Amino acid sequence: MTASRLIAEAVAQEGRYAQAIPMYGTERRGAPVTAYVRIDGRPVRRRDLVHEPDIVIVIDPILSGKPSVAAGLKSGGLLLLNLPKPPEEVEIGGDFLISTVDATTIALETLRRPITNTAILGAFSKVTGIAKLESLKEAILHRFPGEIGERNVEALRRAYKEVYPPKPAKGPLRPGEEEPPHVTGYGVLKSVADWRVFKPVVDLDRCISCRFCWIYCPETAISLVDEKPVIDYDKCKGCGICVHECPVKAIELMRETL
Amino acid sequence: MTLEVMVGNKAAATAAKLSRVQVAVAFPVTPQTTIVEYLNEFITSGEMDCEFINVEGELTAQVVVQTASRVGARTFCCTSGPGCLYMHHPMHDTSSLRLPVVMAVVHRGNKGMQPDHTDLMSHIMTGWMQWYAENNQEVLDTIVMAYRVAEDMRVRIPVAVGYDGYILSYTAEPVDVPEQEEVDDFLPPYKPKPSIMPEDLDLRRLRWWRTPWEEHHKAIVEAKEVIKEVNEEFAKRFGRGYGNGLVEEYRCEDAEAVVVAMGTIASTARDAIDRLRAEGKPIGLVKLKCLVPFPYEEFQRIGSEVDAVGMIDRNVCLGVGGVAYTLIRSAVYDLEERPRVLGFHAGLAGKEVKVSDVERMAEKTLKAARGERVSPLVEWI
Ligand code: SF4
Ligand code: SF4
Repeated sequence: MTASRLIAEAVAQEGRYAQAIPMYGTERRGAPVTAYVRIDGRPVRRRDLVHEPDIVIVIDPILSGKPSVAAGLKSGGLLLLNLPKPPEEVEIGGDFLISTVDATTIALETLRRPITNTAILGAFSKVTGIAKLESLKEAILHRFPGEIGERNVEALRRAYKEVYPPKPAKGPLRPGEEEPPHVTGYGVLKSVADWRVFKPVVDLDRCISCRFCWIYCPETAISLVDEKPVIDYDKCKGCGICVHECPVKAIELMRETL
Repeated sequence: MTLEVMVGNKAAATAAKLSRVQVAVAFPVTPQTTIVEYLNEFITSGEMDCEFINVEGELTAQVVVQTASRVGARTFCCTSGPGCLYMHHPMHDTSSLRLPVVMAVVHRGNKGMQPDHTDLMSHIMTGWMQWYAENNQEVLDTIVMAYRVAEDMRVRIPVAVGYDGYILSYTAEPVDVPEQEEVDDFLPPYKPKPSIMPEDLDLRRLRWWRTPWEEHHKAIVEAKEVIKEVNEEFAKRFGRGYGNGLVEEYRCEDAEAVVVAMGTIASTARDAIDRLRAEGKPIGLVKLKCLVPFPYEEFQRIGSEVDAVGMIDRNVCLGVGGVAYTLIRSAVYDLEERPRVLGFHAGLAGKEVKVSDVERMAEKTLKAARGERVSPLVEWI
């Protein structure tokens, strides 16, 4: 979200118009979100979402490996991923280019936190030239004054230097051959499973059928079958509320495996 | 003037600041919440000299804003969806007491979090003027204009300025922010009427305060002239006008048919109309900016110039139909040669409205204009 607004602010400084649309839903903190940016020489009027982008930027390192992030990408378009390997090693393939940057490592070394949305912009500037490094720097310093801003600019500069230039996407996996990624939005979501870092698992032997988890789950992901909780993992966002509410500790959070 | 990239909610808060609002009252509710945050940032940084009053809910918010207006402060309120519905009863009082309160309504429909116009339209009988904005610039400009109109001695009616939640509230785009002096020149300080000081207060005249129905209705209808006047003056001073203040016509020259849209759908519709015009199809767009008072005369004129009108309602009055559709049909009824009037329900509960959706609705309307059979007359998109 921050990245999309920074792009809009940077191109506005360069005298163009931009529209930065974030998608909101019933999020969980840290869950990946989608934001769209349109850039034009005149005011942007259409208010629908972007279904066929020219460029897709994936900031989340886990989603970066999924071919479905390129669904809808125009032919000849660009996919910019946060991955610690060159584009040739990316498994995704199609009629578009791939560029990669290890934004997570850059963020950890400059900001000491895995917040990658400023680093990725340096790569974006270098490989697309759509926003100048200088105007992105201005936009960042305007938003984050002081030392934090300086460190973010450092992340921006490093990604500008370290990004792998675009290469044709030659990997074996094609977008569209799997479910699209489930990132939050104000439409109807089919699944929020991709948001989970931890997954609640019920120990049915321990469960005393008190129904607390069923009533407390904010996503109504739990139903009762023979008085025992059954979790619909498409609806479960991994908030852990059920775990917290269970009086006999019958639910445990397990780390999601990739 | 400075160009700043901002979200719709910041445009609303900035308009309140530029209008030198003295008392702001609101209860936070998604997607309006950040207006409250921006206002408080402006106040704590000293940019805005305003009292922000925290309340425990929207019913109180409306009562407090009403009272502050009555004792002489320029007031601002903002809300969304359920909060907007919760303040229904005191909204009747605010208008009946002829208090020029201005309120931003960041649309959130009545069936969940997603935007449609059912929140504000549920208040159609409260005697508030209702204006709808299509982009962040218009949010800012409309709120500033709303104070001029509401406080005009010929009007004294509160205004609700609606804009689509999420689609504008959280979308960032460049907004031309006028200088404070320019706004000051346009908007003189608020003068309360009547005075409530004990030496001026004639208790026998208190009855006057609750405007009788007929007089109240006429006052709102007559506000149309003032809205047009203020819009024209705004356009002269700031270089941006919004049609005649009530409706805005886009590429309607020699049109055989028009589609009518409100809020952000009107914005999307401009691209759809451009595409159809590029194909040589004679169709235009009418943006309905001011729903209350309803621009009957404008629709009579437009109705006499085209053969079909397609109204896109981001609402439904359950069991009755699209609010604006019903009003437009009523407006053209007296014409000797009536256009056909088609209805579309689109964008309810935040459903995305694409350029191609509007194109399809416009083409259907054009078919109707050319005498082809179209069915159904009212369609859910
Ligand atoms: S973690 Fe538990 S409470 Fe949270 S969404 Fe999943 S099932 Fe529901
Ligand atoms: S809260 Fe724990 S004990 Fe109660 S029904 Fe859920 S899993 Fe069983």
